[in-house]
Parts: sequence; structure tokens; C-alpha cells
Amino acid sequence: MAGVHDLIYRTFFKRNSAFVATCFAGAFAFQITFDLGTSAWWDYHNRGKQWKDLRAKYIQAGDSDEE
Amino acid sequence: MASLARVNLLPTSRTLASGVPLAPRINHAIPTGLGGGHHHGATGARSDVPQSFAFKSTVRGHVGRTNALPTSSSTQQRFFSSTPTKSDSHPMAAATGVHRQSATGVPDFSPYKAKNAGLNRTISYFMVGGLGVLGASGIKSTVSDILSNMAASADVLALAKIEVEMGAIPEGKNLIVKWRGKPVFIRHRTPDEIDEANAVDVKSLRDPEKDDDRVQRPEWLVMLGVCTHLGCVPIGEAGDYGGWFCPCHGSHYDISGRIRRGPAPLNLEIPEYAFNDDDEKIVIG
Repeated sequence: MAGVHDLIYRTFFKRNSAFVATCFAGAFAFQITFDLGTSAWWDYHNRGKQWKDLRAKYIQAGDSDEE
Repeated sequence: MASLARVNLLPTSRTLASGVPLAPRINHAIPTGLGGGHHHGATGARSDVPQSFAFKSTVRGHVGRTNALPTSSSTQQRFFSSTPTKSDSHPMAAATGVHRQSATGVPDFSPYKAKNAGLNRTISYFMVGGLGVLGASGIKSTVSDILSNMAASADVLALAKIEVEMGAIPEGKNLIVKWRGKPVFIRHRTPDEIDEANAVDVKSLRDPEKDDDRVQRPEWLVMLGVCTHLGCVPIGEAGDYGGWFCPCHGSHYDISGRIRRGPAPLNLEIPEYAFNDDDEKIVIG
């Protein structure tokens, strides 16, 4: 356990270039995961109400001409 | 065990003849149950009994009078406790098991010292970096929001593209649609026409281009209907090569829209388009 945080420190924090690069890369990763997570939650919250859930029903009924 | 104890007293205090130090504002009779977390013993002291530290015959008390308030924890113990001071009576003394007493009266802060300085350092940098990550993502989303605000909106983009139903064009027929003010030729080619377009020797052409490079799917040819010579609109299913013929100056295009004869320098231009198989449409733009 003692080696883990020391390894993290030496890898990411010791050099400022690595620190800043890690921050920027982490910002991208954070934003992607945040967007995916929140939209997944939104879809779960509104399941069965959105067009992508209802599309199959109406396309079948309208015979591909009426949407 | 004779030991030398150093006790800092308030400057105004003095020792009475009985050995009890005179401390006018201090009530030595601490009631039972008072003490907010400090456990000084089960029973309270009687106020008329001299304090226990006055009778420590084995301790030769050295009373140092300094112009300072007592800061040592051990000194405070002696002032306020009604029972004999135990080594583990102070909470921190219990935590460490060591009750050291400094000669200068400076408290012992060693229990507060970080046990793992490397871990603390890593955690501190992690917190700073975490704030950096959140700030950078906030700046990034702000900038991208501002930039997307300047981009063309969805209705403008929707006007810039047209959809053509693939089922409306039978095999071997042309359809001319208007897209961004220009005609677009869409031809549903027959297998014979595809073979004819592939049979041409590419090296002999004025603008060498394979038929595969001009179509996404061989049966669908989508081209901009503007002659590359001076911008006339060619006529479909005409000319010497079974393709398009420009009546203005006599340019002949073949079934792949490539220039074969006449003044035009280049093949007919291919716009951006895509197939939408769900709705069976060609989306141009």
C-alpha cells in the first residue's frame, strides 16, 4: 500500500507537465463519462416516452409512408 | 521516586503557609459530572480538603514564576483536577501511551504529526488535480457551447439537404432534383450500364476516374448536373456514349458521367450524399 500512492505521485504529480496533461486528459474522460451517465439516466427516467422507443410502433402502422 | 516537577503558575499566585497555592479565581472544588469529556474521577472533591498536589512529599516542587499563562497540559491537569494526576488522564496521552513533559513547558505535538507524509502529499495533489479536472471540463464545455452557438442551426442545415425516395426511380430512369440552386442527376442504372461503365479503359479518358470512385453503390449514380465547360445543364440519355449530352458546346458524357468528347475538361461533379436505408432515401447534402 505504501508503494501505490508513491507510484501515483511519481507518475502523475511529480512533473508539472505530467500533472497538467493528466488534468486535461481527465477532463475529457470526465466529460465523456458524465455525458454518457446523465443521458443514460435521462433515457431511463423517460423510458417508453421517447420517439426512439415509439418509432417502431408508428412505422409499422403507417406502412413506411406516413410517419 | 523523587522527580523534579516543573510547574508554571499564574504570575499572581503565591503559596500559602499550608502549601496550597493561592489562586483567587480558581475554584478547586470541581463538582461531580462537570468536565465536558474529561473524566477526572468518579467522586468530587471536598472544598475544604487541600489539593492532592499539595501533599506530594516525594516531589520536590520547583515552582517557576514566569510571565506566561500555563500552557502545558500537565500544568493544567494539576490546576484543575481534583484527583491525583494519572499518566493517561489526558486524551492524547492515552492515544500515544507516552506522556512526555518538555522542560520548557512547550506542549508535545508529536501525536498530531502526520504518520505517512507521502500519502498526505499524494492526497493533497489529488485534490488540486481534481479541481483542475473539473475546471478544465467546465471551460471546455463553455467554449464548445459558444462555438456551437455560432454554427449553423438545425433548420438551416435541414434546408441545405434534400431527400429523394429511392423507390420513386425505376431502374434505367433519371431523376433531376434541385439542390442548392443546382440540378442534381440521379440515375438508377441497370446492370448492363454498370458493366459498360466498368469496361471503359480508364487510361484513355481525359479525366481518368474509375467508376467505383464515382459511386457509393453501382446502381445509383448521383451527380451535379452542371457541365464542367461553361455551366450548362446537360440532357440525359443523349449523346454518343449513352449518357449525357451538353447542347451548348457539344460535350458528351458517358453512363458514369465522365467526359468523353467535347470541350469540357472534367467529369461531372459528385456531390456529398448518403443512403438512408431505414426510410429508403438518398440524402443529398
